[in-house]
Amino acid sequence: MVNEESTSTSYWDNNNGGNNNDQGDFECNICFELAQDPIVTLCGHLFCWPCLYRWLHYHSHSQECPVCKALVQDDKLVPLYGRGKNQTDPRLKRYPGLQIPERPTGQRPETAGPPPQPEAASNLFNFGIGLMGGFMPMATTRIGNFSMGFGGLLPSLFNFQFHGFPDATLYGSAPGYPYGGYHNGFRGVPPHGQERPMAREGNQFDANLKNLLLIVGICVVLFLIL
Amino acid sequence: MTSSPSPSRKALSKIACNRLQKELSEWQVNPPTGFKHKVTDNLQKWIIEVTGAPGTLYANETYNLQVEFPQHYPMESPQVIFVPPAPLHPHIYSNGHICLDILYDSWSPAMTVSSVCISILSMLSSSPEKQRPTDNDRYVKNCKNGRSPKETRWWFHDDKV
Repeated sequence: MVNEESTSTSYWDNNNGGNNNDQGDFECNICFELAQDPIVTLCGHLFCWPCLYRWLHYHSHSQECPVCKALVQDDKLVPLYGRGKNQTDPRLKRYPGLQIPERPTGQRPETAGPPPQPEAASNLFNFGIGLMGGFMPMATTRIGNFSMGFGGLLPSLFNFQFHGFPDATLYGSAPGYPYGGYHNGFRGVPPHGQERPMAREGNQFDANLKNLLLIVGICVVLFLIL
Repeated sequence: MTSSPSPSRKALSKIACNRLQKELSEWQVNPPTGFKHKVTDNLQKWIIEVTGAPGTLYANETYNLQVEFPQHYPMESPQVIFVPPAPLHPHIYSNGHICLDILYDSWSPAMTVSSVCISILSMLSSSPEKQRPTDNDRYVKNCKNGRSPKETRWWFHDDKV
């Protein structure tokens, strides 16, 4: 117990002792105080936003970093958002005698995509689709058979058919993923309750339409052959 | 004397005061080699003793630098002059004014008294000969009434010394 206590004390002592140096990492390069409304240049130098703004717009002859003289552009400054201290509205802050605009905001890249799902899960999912829309794979095979059967005899007709149903090619060429778009939709993070039935409906309608067109196409071809 | 406002006339701003106190305490912990701050209670005007670096033309000679801070230091540069007698140097005038770009056009608020001192010692150390600037007499005559070197339009033509 005694040991533990002494180590914790020494830890705090160290922390307090080195405080001055640690704090130096976060001191503004102009006023030498802990940076307020901290902002970092692309060259990595830290300033208070009011300090840097005053230097660049009221005193300096050039747009240079005070530390390393690299070019500084307002729209390429990076604000630092720490924790806390957000209670006061920054717009209410007043810097006597000078007009200092609001600190530039951070540039936020897109969020990273969700991690890819494990193989097993997507296989299971495909199986489910197969059960739900059994007629669609049927249609695919029909296309396959049909084109196989008549491709040799009437290549131009075969081409025409495929141009007519660009999506059919997709279904045919990727038999493992009969519902390309649907599948992708499902991959997203937790699907919202509304999206699923909507997608299903749309897809089914699409599939019905394609089926109909397919049948019409077959009729035309048969008619031509006969 | 009333006509030429010295930069020390206006009291230091709060920011300037805080920064100078920090600089002073840092100086006391870690003063630049060859310099000694002469303690006064005036934060706005520092007198610093310089000793020429060993192995240079100014070895073992001592001079006094006077550093006066404007109200908006560090946004504005301090006024730095040698208290006469000033060292004989091609960029130092007999009235103590120093032709050094960082004291005027190239000042940056990230610089400190300490970094300025080091620049001045470096300038002294790289001098090839002890001589006054060629336009010394003309310049000093024009600077009567204690004009600040910050009002001079300097021409920084020599980057070797």
